[in-house]
Amino acid sequence: MSIKHIWIVFKKEVRDIIRDKRTLITNLLIPIILMPILVYFMGGGMEKMEKDIENVTIALTEKSDTAEIRSLLEQNIFGDYPNVSFNGVVADPTAAIQDDVVRFVLDVEEDFAAKLGEGTPYKIFVHYDETDTKSLSSYGILTQAIQEYSQKQVEQRLIDMNIDLQILQPVSIVPINEADENAGGNFMLMMIVPMLASILIAVGGIPAATDLVAGEKERATFEPLLTTQAGRMSILLGKYMTVTMFSFVSVIAQLIGLLIGGLMSPSFFTMTSPGGQIGNFNIPIGALLLTILILVTLGMVFAAVELGISTYARSFKEAQTYLSFLTIIAMVPGYATMMLQPDDLQLYMFFIPLLNAIAALKMSLGGLINYTYLGIALGTSMLYVILSLAAAAWMFNQEKYLFRS
Amino acid sequence: MIETKNLTKHFGEVVAVDNLSLHVNRGEIYGLLGENGAGKTTTLRMLATMLQPTSGNAVLAGYDLVKNPEKVRSSIGILFGGDSGLYDRLTAAENIAYFGRLNNMSELLLQDRIRELTEVFGMEEYIKRRAGKFSKGMKQKAAFARSIIHNPDIMLFDEPTSGLDVSAIRNVHEFILDCRSQGKSIILSSHSMSEVEKLCDRIGIIHKGKLVAQGSIAQLQEQHQGKSLEDIFIEVAGGGK
Repeated sequence: MSIKHIWIVFKKEVRDIIRDKRTLITNLLIPIILMPILVYFMGGGMEKMEKDIENVTIALTEKSDTAEIRSLLEQNIFGDYPNVSFNGVVADPTAAIQDDVVRFVLDVEEDFAAKLGEGTPYKIFVHYDETDTKSLSSYGILTQAIQEYSQKQVEQRLIDMNIDLQILQPVSIVPINEADENAGGNFMLMMIVPMLASILIAVGGIPAATDLVAGEKERATFEPLLTTQAGRMSILLGKYMTVTMFSFVSVIAQLIGLLIGGLMSPSFFTMTSPGGQIGNFNIPIGALLLTILILVTLGMVFAAVELGISTYARSFKEAQTYLSFLTIIAMVPGYATMMLQPDDLQLYMFFIPLLNAIAALKMSLGGLINYTYLGIALGTSMLYVILSLAAAAWMFNQEKYLFRS
Repeated sequence: MIETKNLTKHFGEVVAVDNLSLHVNRGEIYGLLGENGAGKTTTLRMLATMLQPTSGNAVLAGYDLVKNPEKVRSSIGILFGGDSGLYDRLTAAENIAYFGRLNNMSELLLQDRIRELTEVFGMEEYIKRRAGKFSKGMKQKAAFARSIIHNPDIMLFDEPTSGLDVSAIRNVHEFILDCRSQGKSIILSSHSMSEVEKLCDRIGIIHKGKLVAQGSIAQLQEQHQGKSLEDIFIEVAGGGK
């Protein structure tokens, strides 16, 4: 094995790939362009949806169209809700809802005033569409307004009867948040970044790995290469470094795209965060470095696996088929742990390849750092690097795989 | 310069090359004649150190094939038939330089040698252009240059004219003869009688991995009652049976 040969192979492979427009477009341009568009539309879509839900339109049935009922609704119940507007009267509530003319049609009992005076309950019939997301979401605003009004009426009655209002609340809840103050509130980032980064690191090197061995076999450049003075390990390591590097290039491109998208549409990252705030990142430098190292080793493990598979494949197409299964394998833990929160992480996760990188990222982003766990993840990852590289080297030295035809 | 002793290669139960013993002198073209699957490519792959012999050995340019494969590789150049095996996104010069560097040439010597070979093969116009857009002839010349960039003493040609048109075949033949005139030891594997008759000083007929006949064309004809090479081949190789 010669460092000089490894470097020569690495430089040549990088130059070769950089000149490949398809790889550049797939690995660099598309993520940088597509990701912001995706984030922008997802974030924009969420913002629009939220606004639409807040803006509630209400119509009355013909028999509820009286000055008394109008006054009840517009002033007493929805007076404090500026986003609720009244859109006239409809003859057919079902058609009005289904045709999306208004979101709700209210039908108030005509003798509500008499019942109110007598202290007996009256009914407000709410026509809405449970299958419509906006209608279902706005229903909460509507019921909240009616319940607030109802509460006020109850309180007024108790005051009139000289009864202390506390009788209504025998027990009260006092919330005390015991969360670690370092724990961030970056829910969307904690969900997306570990999943995205681990999958992309795992699959980012696939185009390069496919091209660098199976592609070379197919283009008949591989055999002449093996007749040079460079040993097989030097050739393998030169290619291995290239695949590892491009798996990270791909991730960096995706994350740049995500960042641009986030700047264009900040609401994307806050849409599941309470209060809609992006919490401050407060990752200790030690944890950050450990996490980066764990991610680098993850890239190295997958680069070795991909090169081993590419060595086994007879042709470029065969390598693509095998490696597509690897993509699925990488996606399973990514999606399976998407909703996992940092305090749900278990010790065993830090031993399992891929899962340990996801767990480390979630832990760091969540701010609940356990250095023993991160150390375990790095240790096991390094072991997997050695094992995967040994397997790839073994494949690369097997005549039956190298010259399969 | 090339001497093989009982060179044998098994792929599982299959014996691809069976106790092959031959020698090739300096400045000699040895033709390895055989049908598809006879063991020609396996033999050349073993001599190029791509495959390890199951048993037997060979000495190339004084280096032991099994004990010193890296030194053996420094002494051989190889040219395959069919695709030229160039990297399309690299220029001709970059393709040649890549192999020169991997063969431990100094940068100074490498650049001198590229200039020399560019002149020899008339590649001045396209030496700095990417190989992907070359014509077959241009690719072929770049592949020739690449195979001898490190000035090897031994050249191995594995069916170098397969799939080529007449003028491209002529280029290959001229290149092989040129290598001989430079004193290189050459093994040319082929299944073309006319090619072997035209180029080779001696011939070995390989059948099912075994060397079934060898000698100059005159010697072979003498041993086989003056028959043509084709008839001799059919006789010793059993007509593909």
